[in-house]
Amino acid sequence: MNLLDTCEQLVKLARKAGAAEAEAYAERTRDASVRVRDGEVEQLEQASSKGIGLRVITGQRLGFTYGTDLSKEGLQELARKAVALARAAAKDVANGLPRGAQLGAAAVGEYDPAIEDISPEWKLQAAREAEKAARAEDARVRKFDSTGAGDFLSRSAIFSSHGASGESRVSYVYVYCSPVAEADGQLQTASWSDTRRTLARLQRPEEVGRIAARRAARMLGARKPKTQRVPVVFEPQLAAEFIGGISSAVNGLLVHKKSSFLGALLGKRVAAPGVTLVDDGTLEHGIATRPFDGEGVASRRTAVIEDGVLRQFLYDATTARKAKAKSTGSASRAWASLPSIGTSNFYLMPGKDKPDSIIRGVKNGLYVTAMLGRGADVVTGDYSRGANGIWIENGELTWPVQEVTVSGNLLEMLKGIDAVGDDLDFRSSTAAPTIRFAELVVSGA
Amino acid sequence: MPRKSKEARRSPLLPLPLVERLLSAALSRGAEFAEVYVERNTSTAAMLDEGTIKSAQSGSVTGVGVRAIRGAQVGYAYSDDLDAPALLRTAQTAALIADGNREPGPVNMSRTPLPTYYQVRTPLASVEVSRKIDLLQQADTAARAYDKRVKQVTGGYADQTREILVANTLGHLAEDRQDLCRLSIQCVAFGKNGERRTGFYGGGGRVDFRFFEDFSPEHVGREAARQAVATLGAVPAPAGPQTVVLAPGWSGILLHEAVGHGLEADFIRKGTSLFAGKLGEKVASELVTVIDDGTVAGGRGSINVDDEGNPGERKVLIENGVLKGYLYDYLNAKLTGQRSTGSGRRQSFRHAPLPRMTNTYLAPGDQTPEEIIGKVDRGLYCRQFGGGQVDISNGNFVFEISEAYLIEQGEITKPVKGAMLIGVGPEALKNVSAVGSDASHDPGLGTCGKDGQAVPVGVGLPTVRIDNVTVGGTGG
Repeated sequence: MNLLDTCEQLVKLARKAGAAEAEAYAERTRDASVRVRDGEVEQLEQASSKGIGLRVITGQRLGFTYGTDLSKEGLQELARKAVALARAAAKDVANGLPRGAQLGAAAVGEYDPAIEDISPEWKLQAAREAEKAARAEDARVRKFDSTGAGDFLSRSAIFSSHGASGESRVSYVYVYCSPVAEADGQLQTASWSDTRRTLARLQRPEEVGRIAARRAARMLGARKPKTQRVPVVFEPQLAAEFIGGISSAVNGLLVHKKSSFLGALLGKRVAAPGVTLVDDGTLEHGIATRPFDGEGVASRRTAVIEDGVLRQFLYDATTARKAKAKSTGSASRAWASLPSIGTSNFYLMPGKDKPDSIIRGVKNGLYVTAMLGRGADVVTGDYSRGANGIWIENGELTWPVQEVTVSGNLLEMLKGIDAVGDDLDFRSSTAAPTIRFAELVVSGA
Repeated sequence: MPRKSKEARRSPLLPLPLVERLLSAALSRGAEFAEVYVERNTSTAAMLDEGTIKSAQSGSVTGVGVRAIRGAQVGYAYSDDLDAPALLRTAQTAALIADGNREPGPVNMSRTPLPTYYQVRTPLASVEVSRKIDLLQQADTAARAYDKRVKQVTGGYADQTREILVANTLGHLAEDRQDLCRLSIQCVAFGKNGERRTGFYGGGGRVDFRFFEDFSPEHVGREAARQAVATLGAVPAPAGPQTVVLAPGWSGILLHEAVGHGLEADFIRKGTSLFAGKLGEKVASELVTVIDDGTVAGGRGSINVDDEGNPGERKVLIENGVLKGYLYDYLNAKLTGQRSTGSGRRQSFRHAPLPRMTNTYLAPGDQTPEEIIGKVDRGLYCRQFGGGQVDISNGNFVFEISEAYLIEQGEITKPVKGAMLIGVGPEALKNVSAVGSDASHDPGLGTCGKDGQAVPVGVGLPTVRIDNVTVGGTGG
């Protein structure tokens, strides 16, 4: 039976078991990867898997079950248990499935049949090329944490008693390389990877290996600078992680619970002019582009911060009802969990500055190339992360830095962004160009 | 201590003749070793928010992972279809790591007798969901009653009953039931001028549900509330190098990050850890003895048997500052001529095992906490902790401090906020200048991530003083 039919069958069984509203979400995936070491296969992995989750609402109470057994008996058990669990939960008027005009499909999202046919040999070759190129790039790169390539295919379906019905599919192909450079008893690791939804857009494996090797080798000799307040430049991946932290601050549920530092600032200036943050489930070539969100609400583009002004929070159906807002199609979903608010393609719009000129504008400061720890606490607004990078002197990248933390207050940081690069590349679903903060605390010696 | 419980005589998760056929199929292309891992995981969870139970949920996932090894090469495949043809295809896929043909001989399996370190009589899956929900409601009430400024309380209860069967072509067969539960509460306290502080507390382990009679939900709620309220009005943490004193318990995450990961045998074999090749060398202050112990009674990270069928062990990793051993799984042990230390763990049947920690703790010293704090002229007292992360190669680790106070002239004074510690593993351990007698394990909250796999772990530390640690913060 296809996935959509299975979902429909489960919803029927749930209604029969006593659910007023029922929604099933199922997924089938195929996962295949190759990891190499010294040109030989280290691990070859291949598997298919499936699962289904059932959300029921009865008497405004919510129950949820999931499992991997899609047989009639398996589905019956899920339906029976979900209704029983709902009876144990509390009444909440906000419980309810999305319905009506908000349901539907907006974008398709890329699916590349060529990825279905990628052979283990192709992946082996890609991984070998990445590893070989990394070795060739720098003599100090002799060890690897791991190098590999893989593909991932998924089909999902959703069906509800209140009008949701649809299927979607995604394909991904990826190459990654994590070399370790060594000199004078110091080891430095770095990694670089590329993930795309179509094979044609994938970065060449040699290129992935070369970039990874350069990133590891340039950290050799890293040391700790003095504690000081200086301008700090974040490379695109770290800028992406920074805005990823900000995405929790616009989570409608945290806002509703007065637990976000941005919660009371709708319509106010919260970031420097030129800072525009967008969540876009319809983005062309986007890693996370999808026809609808995890509860069947059509995808859309939402400007969260526009030219420095806070415009919109992100909602799923339940939170929207609670906050008297509308769903922004922001329900994230996996078959083994309830929907929750998350982002699709979430990015900082590129500015006009070249990354080089952003660095050149710093007399004394830090260029951050890797970070450790969680960082942003959107409840308190505190930000502190471990950082590695390169010290900037008179506009030039000079010596490598490690064992420092970069700290600030999230709202002050957003307002203190004084340069946004033109180098936006959607390497993951959350993406940003190079950014510069006018001043942060760098703690070191 | 071999056991003959009823458990061992229940029907296995997968019929043993089928397990044997799968092992043979996995060897059919010339692999030297094959393993079948069967898992059934039944879980229950409930979530509390805004004073009510938002949802109650349950699920059950069953699957089989098959691994074939030739030399250093691993083939791995898994399936959640449990019929024999699907499983045979899975075994044949794993077999592809080898490219020859071979007529495998019969596999004769014998059960590995296992000790039991868990204190669970009744499987958690069979405890009424209403009792689990009651825990959350009691914790919520206690948190709100603690202080009017506690305005948001979010709670979670989760448990699982995980049954596993591991069989391999060395003839080992092991079966275990690993129950695990956790209750946790997060509070947000609202201060003046929009100030928000959070508190987080909870606990559990491989324990019977009755655990919560002693480790009461009221205690959990009150402690989360106390943390949130305690740091209202805190000033920014001072930035730069300082003397820090770590309160006992969850602070053991320091060991987990600063040394534990760097001693895992995959990094050692590949030479990518800064601890590779340092066996017998002094890597820490002589006050430091680090133990990884899968045999702690009821511990969140405890395992009767690891996910490769080897019994859980207690291993001394660092003794009086000298590096004594690494954490081995089957493959890395075999490739380097060592013995597995029962450290092969995996998140689920969808994952190949990796060398991992279990419960990692520091052996106690002989000073009282008062003596340790009393000798600090100016420093930071870290009472509660968030998560941490480490870079294995350069040894840089971070460690979040969620509740901290200044120490001034040997006294704990003002609360500070936004602190984080950063250091290089061996340097930080060499700077340990005092170890307390108050050995303490964390209450059972930890989950460790590695290569995308999450496994439950425990940590422990007595009160410890470390000199010259870099503190990240925004204060002067």
